[in-house]
Amino acid sequence: MENKNSENEITETMKNSVIARIDAQVPSNLKLAMGSYGGMSKEEMIEHVKKGDEIGKQIVKRHIQFLRAVANGEITDALASLK
Amino acid sequence: MKKGMLITAPRHDTVTEYLSAFSVKIEKNCNKKSIFCKTLKDELASKEKFSKTLKKLDCNIIFLNGHGSEKSVSGNKNQILIKSGENEYLLYNRIVYARSCEAASKLGRRVTKNSKGCFIGYELPFEFYFDETWVTNPIKDNTAKLFLESSNLVPLSLIKGNSAKESHERAKKQMLKNIKKVLRTKSKESYALAESLWNNYFGQTILGDNKARISNKT
Repeated sequence: MENKNSENEITETMKNSVIARIDAQVPSNLKLAMGSYGGMSKEEMIEHVKKGDEIGKQIVKRHIQFLRAVANGEITDALASLK
Repeated sequence: MKKGMLITAPRHDTVTEYLSAFSVKIEKNCNKKSIFCKTLKDELASKEKFSKTLKKLDCNIIFLNGHGSEKSVSGNKNQILIKSGENEYLLYNRIVYARSCEAASKLGRRVTKNSKGCFIGYELPFEFYFDETWVTNPIKDNTAKLFLESSNLVPLSLIKGNSAKESHERAKKQMLKNIKKVLRTKSKESYALAESLWNNYFGQTILGDNKARISNKT
């Protein structure tokens, strides 16, 4: 149980890493449509992550989920399955 | 139940504008295949109209576009169309594709637990990037196309007569192809786009009768 909680916990390090990635990877002309939050600009995404609100938590979770899938080879395996 | 498709297409904000714009192709394909299709646009995507139309037309495929939650899918101006425990019986014994957030996790499970239908949807928030340059003409937005054309493969494949499972898998395979495509471009946004595509790939799920197809639901 403790492990599960620590896995779900969003640390400041995670937040900072996510903010740096958004800042570097999202051009200003793109907006992210996620949930009922409408289209979010890069600045709005960063603001939500900083605040740590529900949207911000969701943004961090999907970043971490993607990084884990890259690290454990899940994405590589999935892409390799394409003929 | 009749062979046909009922689509909800609210357009009260940019996100629903995009979802609806990319749904036009589905109706056109139904027409090409002589499959009955009715789209409830704008204010017609209301709870009352949806319920009445479904009871009258009794289509065996439902394609829901709109904002969602674990227990519901909304229509025009975020009015809830379908809610778990309230009127989810309207979806019983049909093939449902909900292009909305999280609806598979509770609504979809309840629908398929209580009926012989099939529910394809997302257990996570469905998401997509769009280019602000194209908000007045979403269909030309090549960024949004990566997400919405791949998800369109669920209803397009069903129209072709493929099973729900095949349709679900075709859409997911296209998402993977698009991840590969964006990663190859090595542009600034490659990883951001791949990450969102992966979210939809990871979150898309099929529940219930995955052998269901448009022709054998009568």
